Amino acid sequence: MQPRIPRTAAVLTALALTAAGCGGGGGGDDAADDGLQVWIMEGTNPDATDYFEAVGERYEEETGTPVDVEFVPWADAHDRFTKGMAGGTLPDVAELGTTFTPEFAQLGALADLSDQAGDTSAYNEALVEAGTFDGGLYGMPWYAGVRSVIYRTDVFEEHGLEVPENWDELRETAVTISEEEDDMVAFPVPGDAAYSVMPFIWGAGGDIAQESGGTWEGGLASAESREGLSFYTDLALEDGVSSTGAATWKETDVQDNFVDGNVAMAISGSWTPRAIEEADPELAENLGAFPIPGPEGGYSPSFLGGSHLGVFEGADTEAAWAYIELLTGDEFAQRWTEESTYFPGKQAQIEALADSDDPLVRPFAVQILEASRVAPVSPKWGEVEGAQVIPGMTQSVLNGDATVEEATETANTEIEDTLNQD
Amino acid sequence: MTATTTPGRPSAAAPPPRPRPLLTRRRRRALLPWALLAPGLAVLGGLLLYPLGRVLWLSVQDYGLDNILSGETDYNGLDNYAELLSDGYLWRVALPNTAVFAVVAVGATVAFGTLVALLLASLRPLARTAVISCIMIAWAMPAVTGTYVWVWIFEVDRGIVRQGLEAAGALGPEGLNWFADRLFFYGIVTLNIVHHGFPFVAVTVLAGLLTVPRELYEAALIDGAGAWQRFRHVTLPVLRPVFAVVTILSTIWDFKVFAQVFLMPGGDGANREVLNLGVWSYLQGIVQRDYGSGAAVAVLLTLLLLAITLVYLRSLFRDEELR
Repeated sequence: MQPRIPRTAAVLTALALTAAGCGGGGGGDDAADDGLQVWIMEGTNPDATDYFEAVGERYEEETGTPVDVEFVPWADAHDRFTKGMAGGTLPDVAELGTTFTPEFAQLGALADLSDQAGDTSAYNEALVEAGTFDGGLYGMPWYAGVRSVIYRTDVFEEHGLEVPENWDELRETAVTISEEEDDMVAFPVPGDAAYSVMPFIWGAGGDIAQESGGTWEGGLASAESREGLSFYTDLALEDGVSSTGAATWKETDVQDNFVDGNVAMAISGSWTPRAIEEADPELAENLGAFPIPGPEGGYSPSFLGGSHLGVFEGADTEAAWAYIELLTGDEFAQRWTEESTYFPGKQAQIEALADSDDPLVRPFAVQILEASRVAPVSPKWGEVEGAQVIPGMTQSVLNGDATVEEATETANTEIEDTLNQD
Repeated sequence: MTATTTPGRPSAAAPPPRPRPLLTRRRRRALLPWALLAPGLAVLGGLLLYPLGRVLWLSVQDYGLDNILSGETDYNGLDNYAELLSDGYLWRVALPNTAVFAVVAVGATVAFGTLVALLLASLRPLARTAVISCIMIAWAMPAVTGTYVWVWIFEVDRGIVRQGLEAAGALGPEGLNWFADRLFFYGIVTLNIVHHGFPFVAVTVLAGLLTVPRELYEAALIDGAGAWQRFRHVTLPVLRPVFAVVTILSTIWDFKVFAQVFLMPGGDGANREVLNLGVWSYLQGIVQRDYGSGAAVAVLLTLLLLAITLVYLRSLFRDEELR
């Protein structure tokens, strides 16, 4: 399916890279001819050049084949894969966002890795589920990230607050902070952040969409989903613990405001404490985290994001698999966790972190183990994300353009239409 | 009718000289311009016509990611256009956001640019150079940077506008999220566009102003014309072609505004009330992987611009002929 025309392709790639100013910085592109070509995403991870050089050296020792790693910014990732498909310049192995995997698998662009992977029960179930399409494993779980709540321990101490254990406590805590701290947003309710609203929909017992018998049925218009969305939006509209501007915030805006010291608690990714520490070490000393509480105690499920490793159709599957084994193997997986602060893909490795002493690791590990979920595993989910259906729904409620009933009805119809189109 | 003073791109539409079947020497002479034009035409053909044709061809296909991978075409006639034109969203949101905004933005840019040009024309050379240098900074600012600065100025919770309005008592403590409101949103986009676009108008109109014969103004003064009458009856008629050019170019730029909308909060698709044709085309085509529909929106935008340009040019030439 991917007829490789080595020389022409290499020359064209080289030309394209030269023209684009070649921001990669990884392995030399001149080795593109016979080496194993790998695309790794960048943008949320710290500089990973050293790490991949080490992996590449080991791979060459073991197999005699050089590895050519190219770093692709997350923001461009989907476009780059699209161009790769159009131009026949796809790599052999690539890091895939979990929502890319079913989409590319359905197109027939990815190789089925079920035989190589064998028994996957050692891996995190949700990551395996996200990488499985039509019974085949197309995305090998590599690492995971999850969102929980991060908060300012100094603010909590000052007002004698405890970590909230259910939704009422979460609301009361936020109300107390917004009453006591004039200049602070107690708990931002960002309108442009799908993964921040999902825990409330799931926590109330609602759902986004379920497949049965080949048809997707939307769940956003259910009473439970509406209850979750109402609680979330009412935090801003009724309780006033958010800010007017937050209605159009993205997750990055939440993080920027947190770093500026304007925010007391916020739904935030497991990789953000490290980023906050880099931006403001002093602030990071007063940083705590807790899993998102459930309505009546327990935890609300949070979206489990992360990355798969996939092999593109036409590559030498055995050679590619050897590289994937190296990355997911204990030695390099552990080093990756330490350097990137992402969670590893194997369940036992995550469980070890749930006993960690680090107050900024343990809550996230608990969140993954106890309460995490993936988005509907459908090739069309990427389109739902692209159309920003869930942010649109949240924003229309926060802006007062629609009631919760109207907004969920609209979003539900759109999701069903998109997921069920052929 | 080809004898027009209009400089710039539109003259590319001028018809080729028609060679009469006469002596070979004449014919060779007639071919010479074409030979000289050939390199330019080849570049234009490769960079402009080929992509244009490709977008047209895409717009009559049901083209998705699977087609990109397989390379197969999937002709579906005018389905994309039928779907597009029957979509209430086009008429209710995308088209008004594009067209009404463009009319307002072009009007404001040309008006403000002209005022600045009149100011510049009345300045001494040294002061004029200083002011031109200042407005060039606005012109030189990349669209992305400029947009972020405007977003920052209008930041809802802590921005300078919010603080100013609150201090003046015009805004309550709860504030107002202007990015969420279609009118306010486009008000900010208009500010951004006018700020970025007026230097071009000012400099072009100034160049025109300096060519207006002084005697005309002197004659008007003797006839007792005030400042407005001198502008209305002397400057405006003489500079008509200049105004036509800046208006056409501003219209083209303001119709296809992208970054200034896309980078605003909610402008990347989360708030559908604020999308314009350019952003919508990108979201449909690239983000939603429905390249056919995205291409259809792009073709519609191109046709709109062609129609507007033609109307402008026609009215310009007709008036020239009448005089």
